[in-house]
Amino acid sequence: MDWNNLPWDKIFIIVTVLITGPGVIVGIVVPAIGQMIVASAGLKAIARQPEAGDRINTIVLLSLAMLESLAIYVLAVILILIFANPMLKYIVGVE
Amino acid sequence: MQRISNPRTLVLLIALVIGLAVVSNLLKVPAGEAEEPDVAEEITPHVVFTVGPLEVTSTVVNTWAMMLLLGVGAYLIGRNLKPRPGLVQNMLEWIVEAIEKLIREMVGVEDTAIFLPIVGTLAFFIGTANLIGLLPGLKSPTPDINTPLAMALVVFFSVPYFGVRTRGVWSYLKHYVEPIFLMLPVEIASEIARTFSLTFRLFGNIMGEEIIISILFIVMPLFVPVPMMLFSIFTGLLQAYIFTLLTCVYIGGAVQAHK
Repeated sequence: MDWNNLPWDKIFIIVTVLITGPGVIVGIVVPAIGQMIVASAGLKAIARQPEAGDRINTIVLLSLAMLESLAIYVLAVILILIFANPMLKYIVGVE
Repeated sequence: MQRISNPRTLVLLIALVIGLAVVSNLLKVPAGEAEEPDVAEEITPHVVFTVGPLEVTSTVVNTWAMMLLLGVGAYLIGRNLKPRPGLVQNMLEWIVEAIEKLIREMVGVEDTAIFLPIVGTLAFFIGTANLIGLLPGLKSPTPDINTPLAMALVVFFSVPYFGVRTRGVWSYLKHYVEPIFLMLPVEIASEIARTFSLTFRLFGNIMGEEIIISILFIVMPLFVPVPMMLFSIFTGLLQAYIFTLLTCVYIGGAVQAHK
C-alpha cells in the first residue's frame, strides 16, 4: 500500500479502527471502577448486617446491572463503528 | 418423566445434553473451506423465506421453535401435576416461587397473581432464548436487536397498565407531577430511556458473547471456545434474572403509592 498518499476513504477506515481501541479501554475501565465501588460497599454492608443479606444482594445486583449497561453502550457504539458505520457511504461512495 | 427420581440421573442428563451441544457445535466448523468465515455474517440474521412483502428472518423461525418447545414442555409438565411433586415439577415450582418472592420484594405487594404471568413469562422466555443457541441447528434470537426491543416495549406498555389497574387513572397520572410539575419531562424521558437501556443491556451482553465465541471459532475451533460457551450459560441466565428484576422494579415504581 502507498502510505505516503493514502486516499481519504482508507484513512477514514484506519482512523475508525484505531479509535475503537482507546474507546474500549475508557468504556470498560470507568464502569469497572463503579462496579468495584458498588461491590465493595455491598460486601461491607452484608458483613455488618448479615440478616439483611437478601435485600442487599438484590440492590447490589440492580446497581451492577445499571453500571454494566454503560459498558454495553460502548460495545454497541463500537460494533456500529466497525461493522455498520453509517458515515461510510458518504466517504466511500454509495454502492 | 416420573422415572427420573434420582437427582444424579438428572445431573447426568443435563451434562449429556451440554456435552452433545458442545460437540455438535465443534463439528459445525467447516473443515478446509476455501473462504474465510465472516463474523458479521455469522451473527446477523438471514432471510429464510418471504410471505408477500414480509421477510421472515431466521430470528423469527428460531423464536417460533423456542415457543413450540416451551409450550409443549409446559403442557406436558402441567398435564399431570401432583401434590407430591416429582423432580421436574419440583424444580419448576422452585423457579416460580423465586419469581413470586422477587415480585413480593420489588413490587411491594402481597398478592402476586396479576403480576406473575407477565413477569414469569419474560423470565422463562429470555432464559430459554439465551440458552437455546447452545442447541445444534438453532440460534439464539436475542442477538437480533428486534427481540430485546419487543420485550422492552412489552415492559414499557405494561408499566402504565399495572399502574392504572392498581391505583386508578388519576392517581397514576398524578405521580408524574408528584413533587412539582417540573418533574414531568424528566419522568417521561426516564421512561423512554430505560426502555432503550433494557434493550441494549440484553442485546449487547448476548451479542458480545456470541461475537467472542465466533472469533474464537475462527481463530482456534477445537476446544478453545468451550469455556466461553460454558460462561455464556451463566451470562444468559444472569441477564434473564436482571431483566426480570428491572421489570419488577419498574412495575413497582408505578404500582406503589407515594411513600
